[in-house]
Amino acid sequence: MNSHDLLPVHTGTVIEDDSLTLEQLCHACGVHADWIISLVEESIIEPEGDDIHLWRFSGTCLVRVRSALRLQHDLGVNLAGIALALDLMEELENLRAQLKIMGRD
Amino acid sequence: MQYKDYYKIMGLSRNSTQDEVKRAYRKLARKYHPDVSKEKDAEAKFKELGEAYEVLQDPEKRAAYDKLGTKWKAGEDFRPPPNWDEGFEFKGGSFTGGDAGAFSDFFEQLFGRAGSRPTDRGPHGFHVRGQDSHAKIYIDLEDSIHGSTRNISLSTPEMDAQGYVKVKHRSLNIKIPKGIKPGQHIRLSGQGDPGSGGGKAGDLLLEIAFNSHPLYRVSETDIYLDLPVTPWEAALGAKIKVPTPEGSVDLKIPPNSRQGSKLRLKGRGLPAKTQGDFFVVLQIALPPANTERAKAVYQQMQQELDFNPRLSLGVKSL
Repeated sequence: MNSHDLLPVHTGTVIEDDSLTLEQLCHACGVHADWIISLVEESIIEPEGDDIHLWRFSGTCLVRVRSALRLQHDLGVNLAGIALALDLMEELENLRAQLKIMGRD
Repeated sequence: MQYKDYYKIMGLSRNSTQDEVKRAYRKLARKYHPDVSKEKDAEAKFKELGEAYEVLQDPEKRAAYDKLGTKWKAGEDFRPPPNWDEGFEFKGGSFTGGDAGAFSDFFEQLFGRAGSRPTDRGPHGFHVRGQDSHAKIYIDLEDSIHGSTRNISLSTPEMDAQGYVKVKHRSLNIKIPKGIKPGQHIRLSGQGDPGSGGGKAGDLLLEIAFNSHPLYRVSETDIYLDLPVTPWEAALGAKIKVPTPEGSVDLKIPPNSRQGSKLRLKGRGLPAKTQGDFFVVLQIALPPANTERAKAVYQQMQQELDFNPRLSLGVKSL
């Protein structure tokens, strides 16, 4: 018997697209709401919903906020720079995925 | 414990100015930043760089490090000489707030560990919910197709009662729900950082990534397969067997199919909320002309087919 079999199995919940509230996103990333709002203003992340109380964020936003945090902390990049870097990184990622689909990697 | 050559890590000479240290850090940080870099060991390099910078950016730590002398080689077994840090005081002081939990034994032996900063943990006497923690896990395509249970190992830096950062290892069995797609997150309640003052623990958020598969590629909820076909199957049409993650299916290849054509098997992608599709990409394989008979068949095609593949290049005659 494998020792892993003795551990309990944890069942989580899947974060569906556009389901995170502002509060959940702040808590998940350990940042203040003000900073998230400034990311939205810079259109680094785009929530669903018009009003701040109705904002819902996707899992992709979560990944972008965390990258943004690291870029700011590690490289001292400002918001405009973060926006540019993340967009270029995303484009690069898409191109790499395309190359993969074409079987060229 | 191994000696670390911080100057070598940063590509600097021992008489570099503080400005040069900063510039070298900025440049290398961009190169090895895990978000940006595709270098294989970027994360390890970035941590090493952070540690080197932590020492060299601080004139006091740098001076103490320099005092160790130049006779040490990187990787060499190292014990600090007695009283080497005489006249310096940096235990628990002036850390830049870099990822101190990741610093090496060598660093800790010399400069101590980064102490806790109580303000990070919320004021005392309040119930503070623990932070959510994050990890990326790699699963196989089949895990998403059928749903499964995976065992994952996590190492989390944790602060002990004295405020020292310790890396804690633990192992969790996780249920992988059917139809999960790359980039999605699973939230495990109460598996994040412990709370303080009786506050609730944070959650653990797992980002899902897929291991590369020998046959299939996954894009969002769609699955792709490169399918080799013969020239006559592509030209005349055929019914052939195609592997899919849920067993082989019969696929009809329409006549006059071209290289790279995509055929869609609806609903045979990932079983996500919005069901993905399965795409077959035709790869026409040429039989080798390695026998007299094979050569004769090619020669016959040459004589009997009026085919110019370079027409679109403006080349009129063959």
